[in-house]
Amino acid sequence: MEKIVKKVNEEIQRGWLGPDRNCPYHPAHFSGQDCSFCYCPFFPCNDTTFGWELQGRHGPVWNCSDCLFIHRTPVVKFIYSEIERLGIKDAKDPRFDDIFIEAKKRFWKKGKAMMVVGATSDAGKSVTVAAICRILHRKGYLVAPFKSQNMSLNSKVTRHGAEIAMIQVLQAKAAGLTNPDAHMNPILLKPKGDTISQVMVCGKPFADYDVDGYYNEFVPGPGIGIVKEHVEFLKDRYDCVVMEGAGSPAEINIYDKDIANMRAADIADANVILVVNVEWGGSFAYAIGTVELIPEKDRKRIKGIILNNVRGNTENLRPGADKLEELTGIPVIGIIPHADVVLPSEDSEALRGVRSKGEGQSRIGAIRFPRMANFTDLDPLLLENVSVVYVEKPEDLAGVDAIVMPGTKNTVSDLIWMKENGLFDAIKGLWKKIPIAGICGGYQMMGRTLDDSNGIENGKPAVHEGLGFFDNTTSFGEYTKRIIQNEGKLAVGDGGAITGYELHMGMSEVNEKPLVMLDRFHADPEPEGSVREDELTFGTYQHGIFDKPAFRRYFLSFVKHDGKPIDAEAGCDYDEVLEENLDKLADVFGSNMDVEKLLDIAGVRE
Amino acid sequence: MSILFLGTSSGAGKTTVCAMMCRYFSNEGIDVAPFKGSNLSLNSIATKDGGEIGIGQAFQARAAGIEPETDMNPVLLKPSGKGVMQLVLNGKPAMDITKDHPMDRTKVMEDVKAAYARMSERHQMLLCEGSGSPVELNLMATDIANVGLMRATGVPAVLVGDIERGGVFAAIYGTWRLIPDELKPQLKGFIINRFRGDGSILAPALKRIEDLTGMKCLGVLRYEYLRFPEEDSLSSSEGKLEGDDIHSAFLANLDEMISHAKDDGFDFGMLKKMAGL
Repeated sequence: MEKIVKKVNEEIQRGWLGPDRNCPYHPAHFSGQDCSFCYCPFFPCNDTTFGWELQGRHGPVWNCSDCLFIHRTPVVKFIYSEIERLGIKDAKDPRFDDIFIEAKKRFWKKGKAMMVVGATSDAGKSVTVAAICRILHRKGYLVAPFKSQNMSLNSKVTRHGAEIAMIQVLQAKAAGLTNPDAHMNPILLKPKGDTISQVMVCGKPFADYDVDGYYNEFVPGPGIGIVKEHVEFLKDRYDCVVMEGAGSPAEINIYDKDIANMRAADIADANVILVVNVEWGGSFAYAIGTVELIPEKDRKRIKGIILNNVRGNTENLRPGADKLEELTGIPVIGIIPHADVVLPSEDSEALRGVRSKGEGQSRIGAIRFPRMANFTDLDPLLLENVSVVYVEKPEDLAGVDAIVMPGTKNTVSDLIWMKENGLFDAIKGLWKKIPIAGICGGYQMMGRTLDDSNGIENGKPAVHEGLGFFDNTTSFGEYTKRIIQNEGKLAVGDGGAITGYELHMGMSEVNEKPLVMLDRFHADPEPEGSVREDELTFGTYQHGIFDKPAFRRYFLSFVKHDGKPIDAEAGCDYDEVLEENLDKLADVFGSNMDVEKLLDIAGVRE
Repeated sequence: MSILFLGTSSGAGKTTVCAMMCRYFSNEGIDVAPFKGSNLSLNSIATKDGGEIGIGQAFQARAAGIEPETDMNPVLLKPSGKGVMQLVLNGKPAMDITKDHPMDRTKVMEDVKAAYARMSERHQMLLCEGSGSPVELNLMATDIANVGLMRATGVPAVLVGDIERGGVFAAIYGTWRLIPDELKPQLKGFIINRFRGDGSILAPALKRIEDLTGMKCLGVLRYEYLRFPEEDSLSSSEGKLEGDDIHSAFLANLDEMISHAKDDGFDFGMLKKMAGL
């Protein structure tokens, strides 16, 4: 507390600062934030709109780490003007209480919510939400993405160690937010087998459900309350919550049990935009069918339609769009051309029928496990002179210059799959001949043994033989999961910076030279991963290891195409590439939609 | 007698469903043949009579156990790039369509009607396939293979919807909704394609669509990991294809689909009735 008083005193003396771009942590919360009060003069305000009391080791602690109120410039300028008017010199001045009450009265209001639903899966909901987040962010609004329930095997770890869907992290980035958090995706379903999903609540494993159990126990039980709690949390802190639906909102056989679409919109009192993918045809039918199958009380929420992913001249669709407006009474607020952007794809649906990605010269074979997870890890490779070929059977390995084994939701089951279809032996046959990298589940398989003698991973207790490239043993001892965000350096090569995150069941005993040193979020640098350069094998638990250029360049330096090394010069940071592409996406949407109508629908001007 | 299979989108499974029905009715001893008024495809084959037709109709003809012929696909549009489209009419290249040189739709429609009439005369049953979605509001006025054929011939139609990408009830209801009112009586039924899981959970929704539209649900076809010839670039190319002879492999796949459809209670009898047999 003494430290805070001292800091606030400095802030009072210094006066208004604005965004502090020289601060190494800038922007700690959101891009464009006001940094004048890095330490809040109202702390602890004890107002539950902004924070809550935690039980700390030494008694109760006021936690307001999610509060953004003090980083809004109008609020900050008001506080300084009051400080000057009242002649306040000290952080302990009781008149701060009055300033707080007045500031809240003038500048705080509950945020609005809007929602994007899609007529089908893969209609373009996620990118539309990302584009809207960026458009509103550029206009100076504080926005947060939200998806009540997401089914995806591509997830990321937040600063607080929670696991949320990768796509909400991307949308938060589009909104200019530095720290996406679990409120933005409170329910994450991770398919484990054919019908069972692991349900994560607030980024932590909650329980496993089958379809029936999910809809009949989880949803009417805790489900609805979870959605309400988190969307309200965000509305207290942001001008607008841009929500994303799941699948189609007009699945009339499960309409009453669906908490991802219109029910969530109702809970959040959100206006809704319907997005339809034009590419497959039938978009007008999908649009009017979706609108009219939704019961009237919810239909009223739909305030706009977007025809998305148009190849060719968007003007050709205008007469049809006019007719659609006339029939539904809902304006078509955007006809969006196909946007050629580099952004990660949300779910494996996007990989359906896809055998390769990219056109680069060197061919990297990615093992396409049936339960492949976080396959977006490979996307940054496409920034180089590389194409990624998906490998499902031994023949697919013909002509590949390197192999990457990505993560999997179930290492043991996918290891058995590889043994049964011959990939296990085929990969062994290429050992020491071409570079082989494993990430997470793929890395676990590169070890000597995988000990599942409690049957945690696969149901059937057994000890499985790994590929044996590393002298490591992974044990699936108990049903726990390691979820952590990391930063560090390569322990090999040029020692360049890396970032990553770990999400795994099973712990490995490693007897190899480490690949990376994790030093940011650990008290002592922690060695991680395994490497044998002479045998061309590389393994790590770090998802996202290819994002920064250091490991990407290092790994590609071992790859040869037609006997010659490949040129890996691009060396760009995937984060920056995403940033550019989010801008590009927002430009495409912004210039092909009625932004004024969007602002009305978002409710931010009220 | 005939029936027209319309898709709620590209890639909904029209071609395969039509081929499967050709195979089924042919096995029943009916003289059945495929027909597609107009086809937009770069994948074509040469017929014995020296013409060119879409690969989908050739595949369907083999499923029907007959030789492919040009009347099965009187109009074939082949995009040749830079805004140019080659029109193949009655199996022969007729012209290059450009923005400034559009085809004479009225004349082409007459050719389609004539081919349809010849086919109807030669065969007991025609199983027709539509093209894309029949209710593209910006294209409907000039349509040939969908509402064009319905209007010209009075052919009854069945909608095929793909449930895999979601929103299938909206797609089927919305397609019915946008079909011009005077043609709605020709829409007799619908088929849900590519379903995974336990079909009983769909029952209330299917009933609701039947009640709303008056169309009958003929059945729910399951997702099949089977490979079939590809008509357009949007079709999935994954799936099982076994054996040295590709044609018999495709037919074997159709047989597998028919057998599953029978197991799942697909109403072939109602389809036959809708076709007017």
